[in-house]
Amino acid sequence: MVSSDIAVWIAAFYTIAATSYVFRDNIIFKFSENTFIGVAAGHYIVMGVKNVRDYGWAHIMKGEMIYGIVFILGVMMYFRFHREYYWLYRYPIAFMVGNGVGISIRAAIHSDFIVNVAATAGPLTAATGIDTLNNILIFVGCVTALSHFIFTYEGMHKGALGWAPKIGRWFMLLSFGASFGNTVMTRFGMYQGRILFLLRDWLGVVT
Amino acid sequence: MSAWEKLTALPREIVLGLVLIAMIIPTLKPLGLPLMVGTMAKDWYDTVDALPEGSIVLFDIGYGAGGYPSLGPATIACFHQFFEKNLKVIIMATSIEGSMMYPLIMEAVNPETRYGAVYGEDYAFIGYIAGAQTAMAGVLGDLHAIASVDYTGTPINQIPLLKDVKGSDDYDLVAYITTAGGTSEGWVYQAYSAYGKDTVGGFLSMMTTSMKPYYDTGQLLGVIDGIKGAADMEFLTKHPGDAIRSSDVLSFSQTLVVIFIIIGNISYFGAKAAKKEEG
Repeated sequence: MVSSDIAVWIAAFYTIAATSYVFRDNIIFKFSENTFIGVAAGHYIVMGVKNVRDYGWAHIMKGEMIYGIVFILGVMMYFRFHREYYWLYRYPIAFMVGNGVGISIRAAIHSDFIVNVAATAGPLTAATGIDTLNNILIFVGCVTALSHFIFTYEGMHKGALGWAPKIGRWFMLLSFGASFGNTVMTRFGMYQGRILFLLRDWLGVVT
Repeated sequence: MSAWEKLTALPREIVLGLVLIAMIIPTLKPLGLPLMVGTMAKDWYDTVDALPEGSIVLFDIGYGAGGYPSLGPATIACFHQFFEKNLKVIIMATSIEGSMMYPLIMEAVNPETRYGAVYGEDYAFIGYIAGAQTAMAGVLGDLHAIASVDYTGTPINQIPLLKDVKGSDDYDLVAYITTAGGTSEGWVYQAYSAYGKDTVGGFLSMMTTSMKPYYDTGQLLGVIDGIKGAADMEFLTKHPGDAIRSSDVLSFSQTLVVIFIIIGNISYFGAKAAKKEEG
């Protein structure tokens, strides 16, 4: 049974309108795109105000005046629109960049570098034959892919060592293929959700 | 234009029309293709299953409306498992649209009626917290310093579940489901590397190749990879939903993609050979 809920009809219209891009850029697609941008911008503004109120202002109201510094930095961001004092916005940006880098880099070195290198450099033999094969593939793939990016030594890509970057390139191509396959699955999975919505929630032809 | 070249330049309307048909047919008439549960999702399930009753899980909804069809079913299945095991769940959102996904998820899980869970005692939502890794570090470091109220505006020191939670020591597991690569890696950096917490992650299938090394090296104890992982979780938690239904459709439509790739390759080499013959 076709839905009588107006919200479902609106959602169905926008799903079809967004999909209409298949037939090139058209007015219905543009309408849905612009509506989405408008709604998203509105939501972002509301959430921004809510964040300032809940996670900043609420602290100041409790007497935690240290949060006042964050407010001042936030206001300084708007100086980028001022012709004379635009340079003031660089201070909050510098603070954000420094803070962000400081927070992420301490752990990124451990997660991305130390742990991964340690795992790759571990024993090649494992409990089962298939795990041993996996370990060998990972080791060979890692070393040869790295060799592909050695540009300072010409001999790496020519002559006796030339086979290593070639194998590395094959490993990378395999990885790109896997990424492509997963990307297709992701997009199909997303669209399948909308198909199900249209057939079940809107048209009611499946239960 | 030769027949080969025409085949290479197949209009996208035809290709996408066929894909659409390939999606609609199994949706209307499910094929019932077998589902092979993957080890990554099984590890997520087992990690949560091993938690003692009353353990606290920090859960991040890191996606918005665009990611919901793919990751919503996984989140719903996860919450069924959390509430069935009587775990306490502190929910946050690192995606600005995550706060819009929360009511959709809770409407589907229905924890009050189905599991007798009470908001504030068994679960609480602290809303969207801006700052990505800064927000993660803040929630893990000192929750009360970063969030003074929950999503409804209630001070968190008045919420039984949150009033005694100070930071990472109080969380038994950190779990997240996200569409953002930065968020996905960010939780590994902050929860696992910086605070040594047990961490499980869910993300889109297209992120699996870049995130799997974290699973292989034990930094992520379990992984839900998109709609496939969601179907696995629905199967494991015995709450079949949209993901299991989608797996039939995906198998069918992906087969069509493989056929297109084969046709594309044949026509490419066919056109190349025809050109060689001509000239």
